[in-house]
Amino acid sequence: MSTVKEKLIENLIGEEKISQSKITIVGTGAVGMACAICILLKDLADELALVDVAVDKLKGETMDLQHGSLFFNTPKITSGKDYSVSANSKLVIVTAGARQQEGESRLALVQRNVNIMKSIIPTIVHHSPDCKMLIVSNPVDILTYVVWKLSGLPATRVIGSGCNLDSARFRYLIGEKLGVHPTSCHGWIIGEHGDSSVPLWSGVNVAGVALKSLDPKLGTDSDKDQWKNIHKQVIESGYQIIKLKGYTSWAIGLSVTDLVGSILKNLRRVHPVSTMVKGLYGLKEEIFLSIPCVLGQNGISDIVKVNLNSEEEALFKKSADILWNIQKELV
Amino acid sequence: MATLEEKLIAPVADEETVPNNKTTVGVPGWLNQLIDMACAISVLGKSLVDELALVDVLEDKLKGETMHLQHGSLCFQTPNIMADEDYSVISNSKTVVVTAGVLQQEGESRLNLVQRNINVFKCIISQLVKYSPDSTIIEVSSPVDILTYVTRELSGLPKHHVIGSGCNNLNSARFCCHVAEKVGIHPRSCRGWIWGEHGNSSVSGWSGVHAVAVKLGRKVESTYDVIKLKGYTNRATGSSVTDLTESMLKNLSRIHPMSTMVKEMYGTENKVFLSLPCFLNAQGFTSVTNWKLKDDLRGRNLMGHPERPKIHL
Repeated sequence: MSTVKEKLIENLIGEEKISQSKITIVGTGAVGMACAICILLKDLADELALVDVAVDKLKGETMDLQHGSLFFNTPKITSGKDYSVSANSKLVIVTAGARQQEGESRLALVQRNVNIMKSIIPTIVHHSPDCKMLIVSNPVDILTYVVWKLSGLPATRVIGSGCNLDSARFRYLIGEKLGVHPTSCHGWIIGEHGDSSVPLWSGVNVAGVALKSLDPKLGTDSDKDQWKNIHKQVIESGYQIIKLKGYTSWAIGLSVTDLVGSILKNLRRVHPVSTMVKGLYGLKEEIFLSIPCVLGQNGISDIVKVNLNSEEEALFKKSADILWNIQKELV
Repeated sequence: MATLEEKLIAPVADEETVPNNKTTVGVPGWLNQLIDMACAISVLGKSLVDELALVDVLEDKLKGETMHLQHGSLCFQTPNIMADEDYSVISNSKTVVVTAGVLQQEGESRLNLVQRNINVFKCIISQLVKYSPDSTIIEVSSPVDILTYVTRELSGLPKHHVIGSGCNNLNSARFCCHVAEKVGIHPRSCRGWIWGEHGNSSVSGWSGVHAVAVKLGRKVESTYDVIKLKGYTNRATGSSVTDLTESMLKNLSRIHPMSTMVKEMYGTENKVFLSLPCFLNAQGFTSVTNWKLKDDLRGRNLMGHPERPKIHL
């Protein structure tokens, strides 16, 4: 006796549906869910899988997204505690981990999050051996290194969300100051996603006009307009938002989605993301720091050779030292 | 001595810009803020508005949320995102999403809940109308049908400028989601309606469903399931409200199941708001579809529902 479904629909091919652009998000906290909703709004995936250990929250969040399916173009939204749900992902976004408390620096989280990575990374790679991994959990630069080591994947396929967000905040604040949309303000922040990040003042421009050509003191302590404060605000943003609302979510979700778009659509756009910088700028250790990278379907395919002046190079190396000092103590 | 800005940019016109497609979301309460933020991110993600205002008691949380959205500006096409506790921030809004409302206390009667909500609404609605008298209000707070009626009466706005998100758009979306899952196709290709009252006693228009039989009970459980698992629902609500906003701001004249007054339709004399398929465009909701109700459904419909309280405005 045929079901209504069988009476309604005639199947023409017996093939299983295979997803073409599956994304898995590990962690359904504020950051993971912000990534999820932004990815859904941008139609980037044909399958979205969510994984978390908090089973009820995971199920509740998944159902809430599924109920909005009518408004999305992502036909399959699944979840599970078991990583088998992540199988065959093109991209795995890792947001799992302890989050910064008020006043706590990202580096203090390190060992707690290293242990979490040890328990999840090998399983993820087992289910999606060809995936790219995008690491968001903090401290992102160190954890990207840790994930790279644990995964056995080539460094070009393990990407830290890094300074993509810092640069977005930087451009937003420059835009506010000038009354121009952020997309028309260009500026890069590289190095650590954190307190020692390096703003590249020489590159800050609007319509190709370098702001430094209008004011050579831009970004220095003697700059009467104190543009340096903008960079300071970028560093403090994370702490400020955590203090005000308890956690960060939207901007990092959008920043991650920006990276996902470049990767899945093979756009070859350039983003400041955390990658292995050993051998660059005289660095000798296996450190991950943000530099401008070309992102495409295989992950990072090229890096842009930015000319750093002596001051910028010194700050970049300082970032590297800070991270290496913590990294070398890790178990 | 020229500033850097003056050296870089030469202004050529001195006009104030008035927003074209401004939307406001707001109003107090922790749970409501989660729904507000879900609406905000959906509306921003779909690039629907040129200005988004959030109005609430300006606690740290709202400040943090707004700042955070602003930091994502690079990824949006919404140049102005603002928040304030002063209602003047909502001026010139085309649509205002109202999520205000108090939560039901344990053991509290429905009548008492409604009466408390009315007191909250009296204050909010008068401010909304003062600063954005030409906007269309989308009422989201529960109990939606009653509060839509309250909003209409308190605001004095024309009927087509006060909409309750009602049953519908969201429950119909959930309905389509379950139906689609059973049949194995995209929810958008399953057309089904849930109408009547938002909540336990809604009715699905089976005669209009171009799909398979799914237990009605399962649909109703959805909201409570999600609340039980994660503590609240917000994402689907946010997407649903964005769907309505899109129809209005893009003048689409799409049909959505929304809360509207049904006095004198379907043989009822009561001044009651229930969800029916309505046309939604830039003028607000402009027409109601003449849905043919089968007798059994008409009987089960909630007009003159025995529990509906007599409220005092």
